[in-house]
Amino acid sequence: MFKYFLKRLGYIVLAVFIISALTFGLLQLAPGNYLDTQRILQQSYSSATMSDQMRAEWEKFYGMDKPALQRYADFLINAVQLKFGPSYQYSNQRIEDIIARTLPISARLAFSAILVALVIGIPLGIIAAIRQNKILDRVVVLISMIGSSVPAYVMAIACTYFLGLKLKWLPTIGWGEPKHYIMPIIALSLGPIGTVTKYTRGTLVETLNQEYIRVARAKGGDFIRVTFKHALRNSLIPLITVVGPMLASLTVGTVFVENMYAIPGLGQYYASAAVNRDYPLVMATTLIFAIMVMGMNLLVDMVHAFLDPRVRVSLTTKGGK
Amino acid sequence: MAVKAPDKPKKIKSRSRTMTILAQYFHNKMAVFCAGVIVALILLAIFAPIFSPYGYDKVDYTALRALPSREHIFGCDVSGRDIFILLCYSLRNALIVGACSIVVQLIVGLTIGGVAGYCGGRVDGILGRIIDIMYGFPTFLFNLILVMVLGRSLFTISLAIGLTSWAPMARLVRGQVITVKQSDYVEAGRALGSSNFRILFHYILPNCLGPIVICMCQGIPSAMFAESGMSLVGLGIKPPAPSWGGLISAGQGYILSYPHMILYPALSFAIVILAFSYVGDGLRDAFDPRQSK
Repeated sequence: MFKYFLKRLGYIVLAVFIISALTFGLLQLAPGNYLDTQRILQQSYSSATMSDQMRAEWEKFYGMDKPALQRYADFLINAVQLKFGPSYQYSNQRIEDIIARTLPISARLAFSAILVALVIGIPLGIIAAIRQNKILDRVVVLISMIGSSVPAYVMAIACTYFLGLKLKWLPTIGWGEPKHYIMPIIALSLGPIGTVTKYTRGTLVETLNQEYIRVARAKGGDFIRVTFKHALRNSLIPLITVVGPMLASLTVGTVFVENMYAIPGLGQYYASAAVNRDYPLVMATTLIFAIMVMGMNLLVDMVHAFLDPRVRVSLTTKGGK
Repeated sequence: MAVKAPDKPKKIKSRSRTMTILAQYFHNKMAVFCAGVIVALILLAIFAPIFSPYGYDKVDYTALRALPSREHIFGCDVSGRDIFILLCYSLRNALIVGACSIVVQLIVGLTIGGVAGYCGGRVDGILGRIIDIMYGFPTFLFNLILVMVLGRSLFTISLAIGLTSWAPMARLVRGQVITVKQSDYVEAGRALGSSNFRILFHYILPNCLGPIVICMCQGIPSAMFAESGMSLVGLGIKPPAPSWGGLISAGQGYILSYPHMILYPALSFAIVILAFSYVGDGLRDAFDPRQSK
C-alpha cells in the first residue's frame, strides 16, 4: 500500500513538471505580454509611452533579458523552494506572499462548501432512496438536478438578489466577517449538494436491492434499522470517490464566485492575472491549483482504500489501474 | 424512471437495439420534454436573428436599459440592444462552441483512448498516464491560457475547451475498448485476417457507441458552461458578439436598478444547461437500463 502511495506521489511530481513546462511554453508562445497590455491601457488615457530604458529596466528586474530555457530552469529551481518572485501587476508583492494570503480564503470556501454539501446532500439522498419513485423522491431528484447543472455564478446571482437585496438577510458586499462567507458558500455548495444527493440516492437504492438486505428484512429487522445500519454503511463508502472531482470543479467555481462577490481569494487573483497577462502569477497559481486537485484525489483514493479492503486489493495487485 | 411492467420487456426484445433505446428514452417524459426544448432552442438560435429587426451590434440610444415592453420583450441592455436577440445570439455561440469542442474532444479522446485500449501493454501504460494527468489538470485555467495563446474567436475557444476536456472521453473509450476487445467476434474477425485498423473501427468502436454518445451529450453543457465562464472572467467571445457570461457579468452591476438585464440571461442559461443535462441523463438511462432505478 505504501509502495502504491509512493508511486502515485511520483506521478504527481511528474504531472506537475509536465504542467509547468506546458504552461511556461504556452505563455512563451502567447502573442503580446504584460508590457503590451499596459502600453495599450496607458495610450488610451494619455499619450505618454514607456521609454526604451524603462522597458529594459523592467525586463532586467523580472529576468526577461535571459533566454527562455534559462528562465524556465530558474523558475523550476525557485519554485521548488517556494519562491516565485514578484508579480507583474503587484510589483511590490511577492507571489508566495499573495498565495499565502489568498489560498486559505479559497480553501476555506471550497472545504466549507464540500462540508455543507455532505451534511445536506447525504440526508436528502437517503430520503429520496427510501421514498423511491414517490412524490418526495421526484422532488428531491429535481432539486438535485437543478443544483448540479445550474452553474455556480447563476446561483450566486440568485442568492444576491433574493437573500441579499430582497430579504436583506445577508450582506452582498464586504469581506472579513463570518457573515460574508455565508452567501458565497451557499452559491458554491448547491452544485455539490446536487451531486452528493444524486450519488447517495443511487448507491443506496442499489444497496437496498441487494440480497443481504432482503435477508435482514426477512429475518425481522425493521426497515429503519436495516436501512441505516446495514445498507447505509456500505453505500456511503463510494461517496468518497466523488469528493475528489468535486474539489476540482469547486476550484473553478471559486474563480467565478470570488469574482462576483469580490472576495480576495486565489481564484480572483488568477482571473485578473490571466486577463492582465501577469505571467509569473499565472504560472504559480496554475501549479498550486494542479497540486491541490491531484493531492486531494490521491488523498481521497487513499482514504477509500483504507475503508474498503476490496479497493485496497485491487489497487495493489493491478498496479494502480 | 423505473417502469414496472412485467410483460413489457418481452415486447421490446423483438425490436432492434436502436428501437429499444428509443422506446426506453420515450418512457422518460422529462427527457422527452427537454429534447423538445432543445430542438425549439436550436430553431430559435438559427431563425430568430434572421427574422428579427434588431442585431447584436446595433446601438439604439432611444432604448438604453429599456424595461421589458412589447417591442423588446426582455428589455434592452446598456447600449440599447434587444436582450432577447442577444440571448439568441449567445445561444447560437454557445451551441457552436458546444458542438465544436465536442468534436475536438471526440477526435482526441477516440484516438488516445482507442489506441491505449487496443494496443495495451506499454503503449497503454504511457497513454493511461497521460489520461490520468489530464484528469488532474486545472482545466479551466488552461482554457484561459490557451485562449491567451490562440486568440479569442469562436473556433479557438472551442479548440481550447475541447483540448482540455477530452480525458473522460479517452478513459471511457479505453475502458470500453478493453472490454469489447476480449469478445468472441473480435477474435473471429482477427482469425479471418482483418487488419488492426479494421478491427478497431469496424468491430470495436461501433459497439462502444452508447457510452460515447452519452459522454458527448454530457460534454455539451459543460462546454457551454466553460465558455460562459471564460466570458464572465473576460477572456471569452470577443464583444460585441454576445455570450451568456458576458451578459451576466454586464448585468451584475444593474441588479438593483434594472434586474431584467441579469434576470433573463441567468434564467435562460440555467434552463438551457438544465435541458441538456436532462437529455444526457435520459440517454444514459436509455442506453443502460440497469443504471436507471
